[in-house]
Amino acid sequence: MARTLAMFTDVSLCIGCRACQVACKQWNQLAPEEPEWTGTYQNHAHFTDKSYRLVRFFEETDDKGQIKQWHMMSDVCKHCAQAGCLEACPTGAIYRTEYGTVNINQDICNGCRYCVSACPFGVVSFNHDTGTATKCTFCNDRIHNGLGPACAKACPTQSIRFGFRDELAVVAQQRVAELQRLGYKDAQLYGEDTNGDLGGLNAFFLLLGKPGLYALPEKPKLPQRNVIVDSLLSIGSALVVGLGALVAFRGRAGQGGA
Amino acid sequence: MEPGLLKSADWPALIDLYFFLGGIAGGAFVIATIANLIDSVRYRDIVRVGYYIAFLAVTPGPILLTVDLGLPTRFLHMLMVSKPSLAIGMDAVTVGPFHLKPFSPMNAGAWVLLGFSLVAFLAALDVFLEHRGGRSMRAFRVVVGVIGMFFGFFLAAYPGVLLGATARPLFISAHWLGALFLAVGASTGGAAIAFILSLQGGQRRDALSRLMRFTAFALIVELAALALFILAVSATGSAGITRALAHLIAGPFSLPFWLGAVVLGILAPLALQFGGVIRKAAPAMTALVCALILLGGFVVKYVIIAAGQAT
Repeated sequence: MARTLAMFTDVSLCIGCRACQVACKQWNQLAPEEPEWTGTYQNHAHFTDKSYRLVRFFEETDDKGQIKQWHMMSDVCKHCAQAGCLEACPTGAIYRTEYGTVNINQDICNGCRYCVSACPFGVVSFNHDTGTATKCTFCNDRIHNGLGPACAKACPTQSIRFGFRDELAVVAQQRVAELQRLGYKDAQLYGEDTNGDLGGLNAFFLLLGKPGLYALPEKPKLPQRNVIVDSLLSIGSALVVGLGALVAFRGRAGQGGA
Repeated sequence: MEPGLLKSADWPALIDLYFFLGGIAGGAFVIATIANLIDSVRYRDIVRVGYYIAFLAVTPGPILLTVDLGLPTRFLHMLMVSKPSLAIGMDAVTVGPFHLKPFSPMNAGAWVLLGFSLVAFLAALDVFLEHRGGRSMRAFRVVVGVIGMFFGFFLAAYPGVLLGATARPLFISAHWLGALFLAVGASTGGAAIAFILSLQGGQRRDALSRLMRFTAFALIVELAALALFILAVSATGSAGITRALAHLIAGPFSLPFWLGAVVLGILAPLALQFGGVIRKAAPAMTALVCALILLGGFVVKYVIIAAGQAT
């Protein structure tokens, strides 16, 4: 496998211009959608089959309910090292590329939507026109031709950076240390650590507060880790039911309680 | 895990119906096989009706799934594709165009559906030929029955494991859904056989009584698994997950859950069974109890899936 490619999004540099969102739409030729009122400048509320990149707006309030700070975060598919969508996919349509990214083969996807409910970040969307699941590919066609993803190219503040994961991780750690020195005590990395349940995110973030502030799960779980425990409990249930049937049907005729 | 920005697959009721019928098919096959292994003569009617029900209940499965997916070839992609990719998941096995993904319950379930359909057909054909005066192939039936019994357990349970392997807040910490769905399959499978036998009349009361006793036992396992499911979900302590559970047991889905699934589907049949009403009353009462169990079996699956998808 080639060196893993990754995306590092530094929310402290995001100005909420949404150039990334527009560039994503243009390069991937995603159709326009009806605007959606979310109560903030965010549009849309969630990733859709026509919005792979989404700038989220959050208003942090103080104890009195007054707005304390605006937070903006350009969100994208995390291309998890252990991806819930990929593991769930029953057809093998979702696969890992040589660069460590996660793609959906549209010719194989059968539209079962299991991946949609298996993504711990709500990234994968179902396209009702094609009957298949879609999501960000890190601009697969661009990265295979030596270009970075369109969103990273368009970002005017270098809030979105793209490159080799190991190099970006060093940059991210230096940036966190710098922000903490400047007084941003809650500055932290999200998804850079490869020891988590998902094995690290190939799109990781620098946040200015706890993940919950950005509607991100504190400790995202790989749903497929439940398969073994749930299956063992099912086997236990099968043994109990099977024994119950043996007891119920055994014995001489006439002893059945009739 | 907080629900935050999670999405739902929004599976339609067609999928619930498939899960329900798959449970009946698996449960009926297991019951018929165990009855056949214990005493194939005394339980001849249970074996015959059980294998018929297993075959008839599993047959609509691929059709329902294909209707949901839109094209027959799309269902085939669950099992095979012309050019499979290499990196498709943990412990995935690819042989030629075929692929098996043990950590994708939907993929494993599709294979089991295929295998179960084959053995259910063979078992139904065997009892049909015997009923028409043909020679009984006992060894063949035992082999098919034992293989199908494992498939049957899997078919009944895997939808619960499948749901547990999603990020939906109600499901991700549940753990007991597979066990619950298996017990529902056993109770509805038993109820389906008893329903047909009670309508036919003139059956051996001893066999029917034993079948109802097993069905009541399966209902108790179902009730225990349901309680453990609720306990496991509530024990997580996560606000988002607690909200999702409240949606099921105290929110918009609470009426069908408590009245349809718990009271009518489990408690009322158990009360009638243990109150001795079934043993003393006419077959019509047995049929009514079985109908309640079947209704409750569908409602419990429907309402859990609907609540999980809504929150």
